[in-house]
Amino acid sequence: MAQIRFQSVGKTYPNGFVALGNLDLEIADKEFVVLLGPSGCGKSTTLNLIAGLEDVTAGSLYFDSTLMNVVPAHKRDVAMVFQSYALYPHKSVYENIAFGLRMRGFGKEEIERRVREAARTLDIEPLLERRPHQLSGGQRQRVALGRALVRQPQAFLMDEPLSNLDAALRIAMRAEIKKLHQTMRTTFVYVTHDQAEALTLADRIVVMKEGVIQQIGTPEEIYDRPRNTFVASFLGNPPINYLDGTLSADGTRFVRGALSLALARPLQGQAGRQVKLGIRAEDVDTRQMNQMLTGRVSSVLPVGSDTFLGVDVEGATLFFRLGRELRAHEGENVSLSVNMSHAQLFDSSSGASLLWQ
Amino acid sequence: MKRRLFLFFASALFLIYVLAPVAWLVSSSFHGEAEITSRPPHWIPHQPTLENFAAIFQARDRKVTYETRRKGDPATGGYIPSTARDLIPSMWNSLVVAVSVVLLNLLVAVPAAYAMAKIRFIGRSTSIYFMLTTRVIPDIALVVPFFLFIRTFGLLDHLGSLVITYLAITVPFSVFILVSYFESLPDELDKAARVDGCSRLQTLLRVYLPLAAPALVAVVLFTFLTSWNEFLLALMFTQTPKSQTMPIVVASFASDFTISFAFINAAGVLAVVPPVAMAVIFERYIVSGLTAGAVKG
Repeated sequence: MAQIRFQSVGKTYPNGFVALGNLDLEIADKEFVVLLGPSGCGKSTTLNLIAGLEDVTAGSLYFDSTLMNVVPAHKRDVAMVFQSYALYPHKSVYENIAFGLRMRGFGKEEIERRVREAARTLDIEPLLERRPHQLSGGQRQRVALGRALVRQPQAFLMDEPLSNLDAALRIAMRAEIKKLHQTMRTTFVYVTHDQAEALTLADRIVVMKEGVIQQIGTPEEIYDRPRNTFVASFLGNPPINYLDGTLSADGTRFVRGALSLALARPLQGQAGRQVKLGIRAEDVDTRQMNQMLTGRVSSVLPVGSDTFLGVDVEGATLFFRLGRELRAHEGENVSLSVNMSHAQLFDSSSGASLLWQ
Repeated sequence: MKRRLFLFFASALFLIYVLAPVAWLVSSSFHGEAEITSRPPHWIPHQPTLENFAAIFQARDRKVTYETRRKGDPATGGYIPSTARDLIPSMWNSLVVAVSVVLLNLLVAVPAAYAMAKIRFIGRSTSIYFMLTTRVIPDIALVVPFFLFIRTFGLLDHLGSLVITYLAITVPFSVFILVSYFESLPDELDKAARVDGCSRLQTLLRVYLPLAAPALVAVVLFTFLTSWNEFLLALMFTQTPKSQTMPIVVASFASDFTISFAFINAAGVLAVVPPVAMAVIFERYIVSGLTAGAVKG
């Protein structure tokens, strides 16, 4: 129902802390956008600005073509789910869900109908008369979702809604949130520091760091074509491996000591440049092919489905994820073939990608 | 076991220390004149009498002068003072002042505390500390400026003078109590309420106030008791029974050297009743842990 547009938006706190520098971002109608970054990167601030819980100190924020800078939170038609759920402790579940509708002057029957419907969707009908403190974490999470979805808002904002849940529940709720987005057909803006959540849920991911957007793109783009080392490191488990080295004279090979790997795409006129090669943990295998990398096994960490392998290569330790059928022992030498078509190449000093701009 | 025994006796001792004077106050208010002056004194009156209370409640209809004073031995006192009739009106004055101060305190301190706890503005912490530092100044230092202020506004010998000055004394404390309480309530509740469609004022009234009941009770009790007991300012600003409060009138009894001690104690019992009643009424509202379950699992 609404497109959200940030135009050179800045947020500076009274104490001088700059939370957002100069943010340009367009969130399309009905899109599911995930703001991803470490704590303190400005992602929650961005969400609060959309909700109107904090004031924009520079630039303009639009919903469709309406300037929202000075519209107070209670006059914006958005709903928000918080990390701590923020249920009203003195109200029953029913009243918690109904509160937003009451404040917006809905009639009694309409409220009743909508609350029941939301409760049915989220499977919390039997809990309606309880108080928040009588609920489990997962149930509270559902009530918080119910409180937001019952309003059928123009935009649905979520601030790390799953981070207080245990791992199994988190994955189940992830699927439900995705389903919710499909049924509600409204704009979702979701803040998280969990890359897995971002990759599963997002239509587009916005990676942020210190108040600056690092990259905006679909999960595939962000994962396969990171613009810099920050984005590349933030996604992937175990994280991407870096090898510092140089480009060969003809720009076709990455060279580090005895290691020499042919690049999938040669870089013209960059001979001798100091570069960082990025190899994702899963981009190697044990089949013997040409792009080989040899080293000594420094650790073997079976994790059930896979085996994490630490390998010392030319003075650096790299971590790879290999199938569990792998039989390797510490101290042995291994050779692994590298899928160079997935490898990343960054400038050594700036960390900017040399492949994707 | 030893430890518990020690704690038991220590608390018993403490209770006696605190409650014995009150017990004596109550018991002696039922003493007759002969009994209260007898030696040794007894805790339980042999011939309990309601005369002292009767004297207070009938003082208005019964004209007490030197001539019509109760017969008795002047050497042992036993007289009702001529100012006895002021006691009931002065209690009414005290009640009016205390209730006004409580209500105005809530009206001023609740929004102020909410703003200071939940809204970021420049000078926020400075204003909190400034309010608190005003309370470091002893009241006696403020008496002259207060007096000039009250006189200029023509409020001398008027209950308004007490309401205004008591507010100046109590509001900083009330704000402080409420700020710390509001700060202990999660910010996300505030955010949730505003996203749900509450203005700042509605957030305060519909979400924070119901949760702040324990702090509100503390504020009500504190301001009521402060106003009810205040002596110094009341002595300065009130001159006639029209505006005199209970502490002033009770204190004036003691200046009558022929007064009955049993009568003073009866007045003392009446003075204690409203605060005790307040404490009993509000005690059950002081519920902690109401916010449990607001956040996290």
